[in-house]
Amino acid sequence: MSLIAEFPPNFVHADRIDDHDPPPAWLVALVKRARGLLLPVLLAGLWHWASTIDASTAYAFVPLDQIGDRLLLLLSSGELAVNAGSSLGRALTGLALGGLSGIVLGSLMAGFPMVERLFGPLLQAFRQVPLLGWLPLVGLWLGSGEGAKQLLVAVAAFHPLLLNSYEGFAQAEKKHLEVGRVLMLSRWRTFRFILLPTALPSILTGIGQALAFAWISTIGVELLFGTGAGLGSLMHTAQMAGDMGVVVLCVVAIGLMGYGLNLILSLVRARLLRWRVTG
Amino acid sequence: MNAIIDPRSVQADSAPHTGGLAIRHVDKSFDIDGRKLSVLEDVSLTIAPGQFVSIVGASGCGKSTLLRLIAGLERQNRGDILLDGVPVAGPGLDRGLIFQDHRLFPWLTVEQNVLLALSNSDEAAADKRVRVASLLTLVGLDGFAQAFPHQLSGGMAQRAAIARALAPEPQVLLLDEPLGALDALTRLRLQSELQRIWLTRRSTMIMVTHDVDEALFLGDVIVVMQPGRIARILHVPAPHPRDRADPSLAPLKAEILSLLHAG
Repeated sequence: MSLIAEFPPNFVHADRIDDHDPPPAWLVALVKRARGLLLPVLLAGLWHWASTIDASTAYAFVPLDQIGDRLLLLLSSGELAVNAGSSLGRALTGLALGGLSGIVLGSLMAGFPMVERLFGPLLQAFRQVPLLGWLPLVGLWLGSGEGAKQLLVAVAAFHPLLLNSYEGFAQAEKKHLEVGRVLMLSRWRTFRFILLPTALPSILTGIGQALAFAWISTIGVELLFGTGAGLGSLMHTAQMAGDMGVVVLCVVAIGLMGYGLNLILSLVRARLLRWRVTG
Repeated sequence: MNAIIDPRSVQADSAPHTGGLAIRHVDKSFDIDGRKLSVLEDVSLTIAPGQFVSIVGASGCGKSTLLRLIAGLERQNRGDILLDGVPVAGPGLDRGLIFQDHRLFPWLTVEQNVLLALSNSDEAAADKRVRVASLLTLVGLDGFAQAFPHQLSGGMAQRAAIARALAPEPQVLLLDEPLGALDALTRLRLQSELQRIWLTRRSTMIMVTHDVDEALFLGDVIVVMQPGRIARILHVPAPHPRDRADPSLAPLKAEILSLLHAG
């Protein structure tokens, strides 16, 4: 009885904590960083299991070692690099062309009601047509060469940047513009130091959307046209040849590259918007 | 007999000769939903170069509108505003304006904000930076050149706004309730800072406020406004730098308060 009284009620609890040492900090950090890899590894395991059931599933779920062989082959021949580079170039060129036109037109529409009234209805209608809807006409005008692909990717990147930059530039605040007037800023400086920074967060959001659309449509048009270099074309050719290992590799490469592009953009975004209050 | 009793007359030779304002019979009205709302009616006021003028009045009396007319941000419907004899026809670098909210550009650092005010100057970039640094010293913001506005307290942001307004070296500095958004202690400190800056720069300053003590602490001349018009113009005889407890201020304060209550 006296023995029990000597131990405070929380003694048992404290003992239990002491029993389980907290994991070392490096392990916690590693697990935190690697959490995103958990599901991919699990999926790969499932994939591997499916490939071992019988011959028909092994065709649909190509065994991992075969995919590995294909990867080495594509890497050593330089085929993967050439095709990935071609797709990347196409997506970024389309983003630059379509995105810049979107930003320019969006800023003009926000700044000049006349431009808005002139272009607004046409662009609204234009936006309702899905990318695939342009395919027959673009094919007729430009064939199935580089020009046609580039145009379609640019159209995909155009709309998100048009809308977001229009919204961004329309947010210009009277109180800031008044300071510009008091300081006698030129039209260019008013644009550069007041209008553009005001619109920048929206424009960056637009670039994020446009980048995703440009990347998706790049692969889309490559798959549809099936000509020239590009991950989509490579996938198209491999599918025709029944080489499912290459198809799988293309899917993975497309996913990883899109992920990487987004990551780079979010770093640029954080740098450009570091003036904003965070947290 | 017509001599103005100026506490600074001992150093009259150093007094500025530019920055004098003449406001003559100014009317200003706004159209609100098609109805004409008169804000200022037949307002006349003469301000000598280098004077510190406080304009006090209840909110809605038109004091901020008067300041915006002088700044050239609004246009009067009738009458003239002359700066050193030249009619004001829009904003100009001869007039600086400080708002109640600091209105710094949040995407620029303190230094970049002040540098932007020098964008019409032909100076070399290096010289501009030196000038900005000395302005930041003047307003007590040494070491904050690279800070973004959101990293500053309200008082510090307003100091930066003062530095920006002073950068183009305006002959007239207009202050639209510059300390109105600050807490009481910061406010007192910045009032002393403003007085020091004014004594250093010797430019004309016109400050709109609804704080009678603030008006009396800083102003040579107090313009008391009632809605749409100037009710009275009072001269403050106390010397600068001014003692808040100066006995000559108390009767003036009583007079101003009774005018404001009457209005």
